[in-house]
This record gives sequence, C-alpha cells and structure tokens, in this order.
Amino acid sequence: MSTATATATTGALPPRTVTARPVTFGRVLRSEWIKLWSLRSTWWTVVLTVVAFVGLVAAMSGIVRQIGGDGPADPATGAELSASFVYSIAVQPASLAAVTLGVLAITGEYTTGMIRSTFAAVPRRLPALWAKAVVVFLVMAVTALVAVALGYAVSTLILSGPGLALDLDLAESWRVLLGSVLYLATVALFAFAIGAIIRHSAGALATIFGLLLVVENVVAAIPWEPLRYVRPFLPASSGARITLPDAAQGIYANPDAYWLDLSIAESFGILVAWTVVLLAIAAVLMRRRDA
Amino acid sequence: MIEAQGLTKVYGSKKAVDGISFSVQPGRVTGFLGPNGAGKSTTMRMIVGLDRPTAGTVTVDGRPYASLRSPLAEVGALLDAKAVHTGRSARQHLRAMAATHGIATTRVDEVIEMTGLQTVAGKRVGGFSLGMGQRLGIAAALLGDPRTLILDEPVNGLDPEGVLWVRNLVRYLAAEGRTVFLSSHLMSEMAQTADHLLVIGRGRILADAPIADVVAAATRQTVRVRSPQATALAEGLAAADVQVRAVSPGLLEVEGRTAEQVGELAAARGLVLHELTPVTGSLEDAYMNLTADAVEYATHGTPDGGTGADRAPELVDVLSATAGSTTTSSTTTSSTTSTDGEAR
Repeated sequence: MSTATATATTGALPPRTVTARPVTFGRVLRSEWIKLWSLRSTWWTVVLTVVAFVGLVAAMSGIVRQIGGDGPADPATGAELSASFVYSIAVQPASLAAVTLGVLAITGEYTTGMIRSTFAAVPRRLPALWAKAVVVFLVMAVTALVAVALGYAVSTLILSGPGLALDLDLAESWRVLLGSVLYLATVALFAFAIGAIIRHSAGALATIFGLLLVVENVVAAIPWEPLRYVRPFLPASSGARITLPDAAQGIYANPDAYWLDLSIAESFGILVAWTVVLLAIAAVLMRRRDA
Repeated sequence: MIEAQGLTKVYGSKKAVDGISFSVQPGRVTGFLGPNGAGKSTTMRMIVGLDRPTAGTVTVDGRPYASLRSPLAEVGALLDAKAVHTGRSARQHLRAMAATHGIATTRVDEVIEMTGLQTVAGKRVGGFSLGMGQRLGIAAALLGDPRTLILDEPVNGLDPEGVLWVRNLVRYLAAEGRTVFLSSHLMSEMAQTADHLLVIGRGRILADAPIADVVAAATRQTVRVRSPQATALAEGLAAADVQVRAVSPGLLEVEGRTAEQVGELAAARGLVLHELTPVTGSLEDAYMNLTADAVEYATHGTPDGGTGADRAPELVDVLSATAGSTTTSSTTTSSTTSTDGEAR
C-alpha cells in the first residue's frame, strides 16, 4: 500500500474516494450476467445445447429425406415422418444441456460457497434469485433461438431438394419452431428452481435428469390405468408438447391415457405452473435458510 | 460500530452463541478471540445477515445489515476464504461483486493491486493457495471502501510477510476511524494487532476489555523466591492472604505479596535469597485461564498434568511460540500436548 502512512488521529473518517451506489435490481442483474459468462460451464452448456439440437435436426432430416412420405413413421399415431417432426426429437438432448445450465447457475454458488459473497452484497437475497432466473431464461432463450434458426437452415438445406422442407406458411411450423425455443428456456428455468431448492450440484442434476430421462418416460410407458391422472401433470412431457407437430398430438386426446384433455397451450401452462410454484418455494427457502 | 444485543444462535440442540451482548467501537482494532468452535464465525455470520439469529439483534452503525442500501460500502467482510466460485477468475469475481454496487472497474484493479494479486488475477480461483484465497477475500472486503471491516481469521494461511501486511493494514484502517473486528484463535496474533479484546468461549463472552486489562485480570501475579532457608521464609510469609507453594527444595512460589514485600521480609529476618523474581502471567496464560472451561474440543489425559489440563492442542502449539514473559510453565507441556492432541 503506497498510502499506508498510519495517522494516530481517530474519529473523523477520511472522505470517500470510492463511489458505491445503492444495490438495485439492474445492478444485481449486471452482476449475475458477469457471473454467468465468467464460468466455463456456461459456455460448455450453451455450445452443447446448440450442437445437440442442430446435430440431431440434421440427422433426423437426413432420415426424413430417405424415408419421408413413404408411410407412417410412428406406429402409435400413424403420423407420417416429416420435417415438422425433427425438432421435437432434437429438443430432447438439447434440453439436457439446458437444464444443466439452469441447475449450475445456482448450485455452483452453494457448492463453492460463493453464495455467501452474493448474499453479503445483496443481503435481501431475493433480487439475486430473480436476477439469476432472468439471466438463465434469457440466455437459454437466445441460445435456443440460435439453435432453432441454425437447425431450420440445415434441415431446409437437406430437405428442400426432395421438396420436404418445413413450410413456414403453416402456423404449425411456427409453433413447433418457436415452441422449441420456449420449451428449452422454460425447462432451464424449471431446473434452476429445482437447483435453488436442493442447493447441491450433484443432487439437483441427478433429480432433474432422473425426472426427464426416467420418471417421465416410465410414467408415459407403463400401461397402468391410474397413471392417466398423473400424465397430464408431468412437467417436461407437458411442456415438450409444444414442440410436437399436430399429427403427433392425438395421444393427448385419448382419455384412457390422459385423464384431462388439455390444449397445447394448457399443457405448456402445466410446466410454467410447476416452474412458478418451485420458484416461489425456492424464494421462501432462500429467505429463511442460513447461507 | 457494531452492536449486539442478546445475540443467540441455536443449531439443533447446540447453542453456538448464547445470548451475547457487545459493541465494537470505531477507531481501534477489536480482537475476537476464542478457541475453535467457540462461536466466533457464527457471530460474524449473523452480523452480516448470513445466519439468522435465533434470538437477539445485531446492528452495524445502528442498522441491521439486511437494511443497508449499499452494504459493501458500509461493511467489508472476510468470512470464509472459500466464499468464491472456484471456476471464476479473481478479477471476474471482484467485477461481479462490484457490479452490484456500481463500483468502477478501476477500483477492482485497485484492490487487486493492494492485495498483491496482479499476477494471478486472471487465473481461476480453484488453483489458488490458501494464502491467495485469503488475499482475494480481503480484496473483496475492501472493494466498497467500507466503514466497518469484519475479518474472520484473516491471517490463516498467509506467509509471514502477509501476516505483517494484514496487521499493518487493519491498524491503518482503524487509525483512519474505521471499525475493525478481527477474529482469531491465536492469542499471539491478537497481542500484536488488537487494541481491545472480546474473548468468547462456548458461545459466551468471557472478557470485553482493553488487551492489557484482559491479561492483568486473568493472570496471577506471583513471586518466585530461591533461598537455602526456604522453610524459614515460608513460615515468615505465612498469612491468611498469602499462598506459598514449594515448587522444589529451595524454590518457593508466592502469591499475595509483591517481590518488594518478600525481599523486605527476608532482609528483616536475615534470610539469604538467591533469586527474587516477580512473575507476570503471559498472554497465553491469560487466555488459558479465561477459556480453560470453555474449550470446545479439549484434549484429555495429557502426559504432563501441568497447568494445561484442558487445552486445545492447536492453541498451545502456537501460543508456546509467543515469548510472553518470565513464565516458563507451559513450554514442556506444549510440546507433549501438541503431539498427543490429535486424539479427540
């Protein structure tokens, strides 16, 4: 310290030379933005989301080009494999990267102890939670938008020759494309809420992966009658409905499998409701628990 | 100024902090001293609102921490060197902290320079040594030019040069009129840094006074007398308020009389003295006496009974390095205790 010539006088503090302004939501948001992008895991998950999505769209488009128009691709629904199908398939692996981003955005702070620094700077705590939520949602929305745009371009390149490319004149096409963006961003936020409640990276990732890869698939597959009351409320498969083409929506109208006949928007509302409720629980817990 | 009123923290059935009240005044370094597990860190976490008190209140300059609009400009806290994401660089960590208060990046560079982190600022914190982590924690604490500094074991892991730097820094900041509250389990460190001492043990305040007073109040003033006529001298000294102990043949330890009084008595009776030494208890003695019953993780069955019946090993270990005064009582005890001390 160059200025470290101690004075014996006490009492009046030296004039402030450092300007520190009150903590506002905008500043917390900026801080969370810096935090997110200064971690390698963010770059990895963002890149992985795009690569997984575009890669699978390309692969599936290749299959569509080969067998498209030759008959039903899905024996259950009798739907024909078309360009509108590829996004709902590509969204699944991409969602695993998306939820990882959402979980790590919050559990990384608890696992490393960073949360104590965060709460020391933002002692009201909840602005930090909401700022993180906003940043996670926005980053994943933009990432997914890029992934979907690239995926569409690649798919169109592959399928325009045989005339099988996605027809943007159809409302369904836009729903599938933008639905994929919305689903990835929302499921990342859903995972973020789970992470904020569980607070451990490994535990939260195991929970969300177990839900996405095991629980929801098992519940969907087991032909046990009472599960028809459960299926309409599964967060991820309800949310992912928005990425499915009209031809594959039939199953949701089957009262034997789905107790409630919800619209696509209503099903997406189920995922949103889960996210909102979990975020509310996370907020209450964050205020109450010791850091 | 930090003020605590009846501050209590209960974890399950364990009272970590037991209704303590104290105030930390500006313009001086206040040491917060206590054995491991005494409640130092818990108290400090409650001051900055990380832990919610079970009962009682604590304020900084009259306001609860959570109600401060620019907390980093009021209070700088080093609570845990590990309160940093290991995957982020030191500079990005400080930038993110600064952003919450709109603090300029130039200030970030300033605290990096102050703490000597220039060469590692761009590296990820995960690869930092304990000492570098400690410096980063101090850099973060200084970021907002705070009026109050709360430093939990700031010299942990620092090299001697770093220890000296922290000592000078906190003394300088206190001299500027800031409130400095510093915890340590090292009496020797406190003796060289703090003006005022707050001693805590098992969640209770054991002493709250200027450092010299704490030592004076907690140590015995004794006189060591060596004489070939020790028995006669002991008889002459016998009184209700005097305690005479025969340490070894020809060596007495007198409590309740000054060296002058003992010397005058010997002269009056014509007794020969070979040694007459006033013995003031050392800092470590003061600390041991204060916290003897309050050590949370005590060692038992030390080979040398001595005076260190219930000492925490790490304390004795370090304290024995302090050349306190003429007492030599714990030198042998400490070496044996510290090796045996790992058995809990």
